Amino acid sequence: MSTRRHFMKLGAAAALAPAVASAQGAGAGRVVVVGGGFAGATAARTLKALEPRLTVTLVEPNPVYTACPFSNSVLANLREIDQQRFGYDGVKRAGVTVAETSVTAVDAEGKSVTLADGNKLSYDRLVMAPGIDFNWTAIPGYDEAAAQKMPHAWKAGAQTVLLRQQLQAMEDGGLVVMSAPANPFRCPPGPYERASLIAYWLKIWKPKSKLLLLDAKDAFSKQRLFQNGWAELYPGRIEWVSLSQGGKVTSVDPATLTLVTEFGSHKAAVANVIPPQRAGAIAAQAGVADRTGWCPVEPVAFESTLRPGIHVLGDAAIMGGMPKSAFAANAQAKVCAAAIVELLAGRRPQDPILINTCYSLVAADYGISIAGVYHPDKGLLADIPGAGGTSPLEAVGGLRGQEALYAASWFRTITAEVYG
Amino acid sequence: MYRGLLPGLAAALLLAGSATRAAEPPPNGPLGGPPGASSCTGCHASQKIANSEIPRIAGRKAEDIVTFMRQYRSGAWPSSVMGRIAKGFDDQQIDAIAAWFAAQPE
Repeated sequence: MSTRRHFMKLGAAAALAPAVASAQGAGAGRVVVVGGGFAGATAARTLKALEPRLTVTLVEPNPVYTACPFSNSVLANLREIDQQRFGYDGVKRAGVTVAETSVTAVDAEGKSVTLADGNKLSYDRLVMAPGIDFNWTAIPGYDEAAAQKMPHAWKAGAQTVLLRQQLQAMEDGGLVVMSAPANPFRCPPGPYERASLIAYWLKIWKPKSKLLLLDAKDAFSKQRLFQNGWAELYPGRIEWVSLSQGGKVTSVDPATLTLVTEFGSHKAAVANVIPPQRAGAIAAQAGVADRTGWCPVEPVAFESTLRPGIHVLGDAAIMGGMPKSAFAANAQAKVCAAAIVELLAGRRPQDPILINTCYSLVAADYGISIAGVYHPDKGLLADIPGAGGTSPLEAVGGLRGQEALYAASWFRTITAEVYG
Repeated sequence: MYRGLLPGLAAALLLAGSATRAAEPPPNGPLGGPPGASSCTGCHASQKIANSEIPRIAGRKAEDIVTFMRQYRSGAWPSSVMGRIAKGFDDQQIDAIAAWFAAQPE
């Protein structure tokens, strides 16, 4: 026991040193997981599957998780919000203790977390998967109250339903204005899938309406595929305004649904503001977020480079080349869970390889994808050269339709693995 | 139908392979699978799942998985996303992943 304790106190650097023999073998331990999204829920149940003797506690205040992937289809009336909702019964059946509360403080030195009810949970390893929070001071005028008038709908749930209701109540001919943030942010292709699917819906139900997409950057994920799709399916309906064309929103007025840029102002019938983001607030409190607001980690076990003993996963973490996606969060969590079991047993985790695949819908039956393969390189999670990339610009036969079907299959599979 | 994707053929070949599979050695690799393996189940379901366009690979014959990965990687067999993913793996890594999935419950 003393060997293991000593080893664990040495923290990240020592943990990644060559294998240290442990008399314990694969010993039990206590792991607390903060956040029950794709990353956290995957980590919790994978830990339990790989080492049943572990005590794994998932701390998540919401009894039901509302998934973001495919929530743009809810906006376009292609799905119902209930199809995005997943409970934690499957996670509990996997042997994870689910604490339906929130973490109010993390004591990295003392290796414990404080819960909202004042109780403390001690851990040998902590996994933080807090997702994102919005930077409510980034766009003057856009605060939590403004989000009731100009929904972000970038955390799925009530905001998604609100934006859909606003779209449905809009008069035909009304202008939909979206704004997309600078990198990095949750789901890089997400704003463009959203613009696509809103245009898809407008074309059917509000044929006189158009969509203006104000962007704080000059390039975006799967850009040519999206723009080709827009030209093919929605000619003249979507106008994308890049950063250099004056697309960055500098303030908003929720009373008049006006978005102001350096080049002018735009009055919307329906406004969707996707604001700048950072790691969920508890990350900063725990000391694992840096000045960017995101969490730097090493690329093998995703242990914080700022606070040893705390692993950060998913959208909150700085994962090198890997985007902030549900697929990536799930992949990271499985690697991290195996690494934590090895670390607790005094062994060195293997150097991982991770895959990301993100599908986007340009229309209900028109899918496109981007993929990447990643490995640790010079202390970062880096793209493996020559691998990955997007769907071909020229689709042969029914490729777009096939990728739309793959997208739906992916969502069924991953939600079954995480919550089923 | 985009016939390059060969989903039906892929599933048929893998099913045929599993029927004649010799006893595989137990998994003896690293916890949770060799590098890259755990990412696959994001799409290729680890448990039986209804209504999926994407075939399961758990319990399939290792040499079939190897063949698919190599053919996708070289582009000899067209694919949607698998060619792009297979290019991230060398022969040894593909062999290890295939052996690991072959040893998983079908």
